[in-house]
Amino acid sequence: MLRLAIPTGRVAKQAEAFLGRAGYCPAEPLAETRKLTVPSRCGRLEYLLVKPVDAPLYVEQGVAECGISGKDTLMELAPDLLEPLDLGFARCRMVVAGKPELERKGDNLLSPVRVASKYPAVAQRHFAKKGAPYTVFKLSGSVEIGAVLGLSHFIVDIVETGTTLRENGLVVHEEIAECSARLVVNRAAYYARLEEVRALLDNLKAAVGS
Amino acid sequence: MGADSRILAFPPGTELVFGPQATRRQHISEQLALVMRGWGFTEIMVPAFDGRESAPDDAEEGSLYQLTDREGRTLMLRADFTRFVAKALAAELRRDNRQIRACYEGKIFRFQPGGHGHRVEQSQRGLEWINAPGRVYDAAALLMARECLAAAGIQQSVIVVGHAGFVNGVLGEAAGERRLLEALDHKNPTRIREVAMRLGMPAGTVSLLESLPMFTGGPEVLSRLASAPLPDAARAALDELAELQALLAAAGLNEGLLYDLGEVRRFRYYSGLMFKAYHPRVGEELGGGGRYDRLFDRYGLSVPAVGFGFDLARLAEAAPRDGGNGPAPTRVAAGGGAVALRKAIELRAAGRPVLLGEEEA
Repeated sequence: MLRLAIPTGRVAKQAEAFLGRAGYCPAEPLAETRKLTVPSRCGRLEYLLVKPVDAPLYVEQGVAECGISGKDTLMELAPDLLEPLDLGFARCRMVVAGKPELERKGDNLLSPVRVASKYPAVAQRHFAKKGAPYTVFKLSGSVEIGAVLGLSHFIVDIVETGTTLRENGLVVHEEIAECSARLVVNRAAYYARLEEVRALLDNLKAAVGS
Repeated sequence: MGADSRILAFPPGTELVFGPQATRRQHISEQLALVMRGWGFTEIMVPAFDGRESAPDDAEEGSLYQLTDREGRTLMLRADFTRFVAKALAAELRRDNRQIRACYEGKIFRFQPGGHGHRVEQSQRGLEWINAPGRVYDAAALLMARECLAAAGIQQSVIVVGHAGFVNGVLGEAAGERRLLEALDHKNPTRIREVAMRLGMPAGTVSLLESLPMFTGGPEVLSRLASAPLPDAARAALDELAELQALLAAAGLNEGLLYDLGEVRRFRYYSGLMFKAYHPRVGEELGGGGRYDRLFDRYGLSVPAVGFGFDLARLAEAAPRDGGNGPAPTRVAAGGGAVALRKAIELRAAGRPVLLGEEEA
């Protein structure tokens, strides 16, 4: 039996539907259960329900052989994992957003660009490439307000439809990456349990986009 | 409390081992040493640090620990044994370029960003086989690695074999493209395609690269590519692996090996065979090695060589818990003075373990 880390919350519901299509229906609803582990009805998988930001760590450490993780989380944490399949759901874009017209406050012409994000590492990497001074603030939620109220010039965040941005008078300035849910696999498990991992990979691949 | 915790705690990722686990690890190391000595290898001891200028100028340097001595010279802690052993033997090889079998044990230090639980200090035991050209030595290195795993009592491990020249041969001029190598290393077909297309690579090459993550498995992965159109360098690498596989099969020693053509080399000095050992219970590789025929070029020497090393902590994780236990010790009360001392000495002379200490209540 392989253990598969599943991020709770937004992704869990979509993951559940997807896994059902692939033939790995959970024994009880993943989005509602309070249990931390749930087997699949077929007995080939055990689901490990964890916070989205923790899922890659469980797989990297080998506690779970495989996992589902949003590309946004993978970009932020840069775990040492195999990422053999784009599962195609939970699609969104990682973007740089801000007010339509950038106003630099103060009289220091060399003042750094201020960026607020739940993804400080992604923001850091992106702005470092530009070669201009910048400062990144880590926020835990409601990132938009950072740009609206002038905490930062820009925010780096994921957007699905863009409604939240529009309602707050913000626009997308740049797209950093397209994100979706990914299958991640522990390096050792990939080789040491190749047949089981291959079977899972084949079945999930067949369910992508179906 | 704050000051106390600073005084008491070592930096994250450093190694602290005491008790049964340390005993087990020591036992495993001794078993590995016996295997290496059994194949004619001699211990080599090399410095724990060197001048920074000896380090390679590539991406691995992000992981180096650097320090400055009192004269202002920048030094680095040993991050890898192979380079240190090569440097240590270079002068001797210049005098007499002969075959040398050297094995070692010690620590390496590699910086790792926090929060992932990675260790920055690792204990390794390994070997370097200097002036060991060709497939027979490749095969012998694999067999020795397998013997080491067996000697440590580890079952169910797999050894995954790749070739440094295959992925690079397919990539050709794009062999230095970091993003593409990263995508290949993560076996991420979507990303491989995306980056390869952006680099304007031919459609055939893009499809081949994208399919590489699927070329992991038994010897059949080698034959599946036998008739595919490949660049000469990739073809040569594939032929070498097929030759190695045939040699092992002919010797009846092919069991427990997997092949992985999508394997990306972690060290720039690898020039041929590369391999890693894994165990289902341990999340990271137990060890690995490979062929490095160009590493001595910088010393003006032509020296084909092959080597491998194991991480002792991970071996201890994979090994059964009951290994390394001897007979139970006899307790001798220290309060007994001269009598106690004589009794302890007698037991020791008979080869028995002794616990001299305070009497238990």
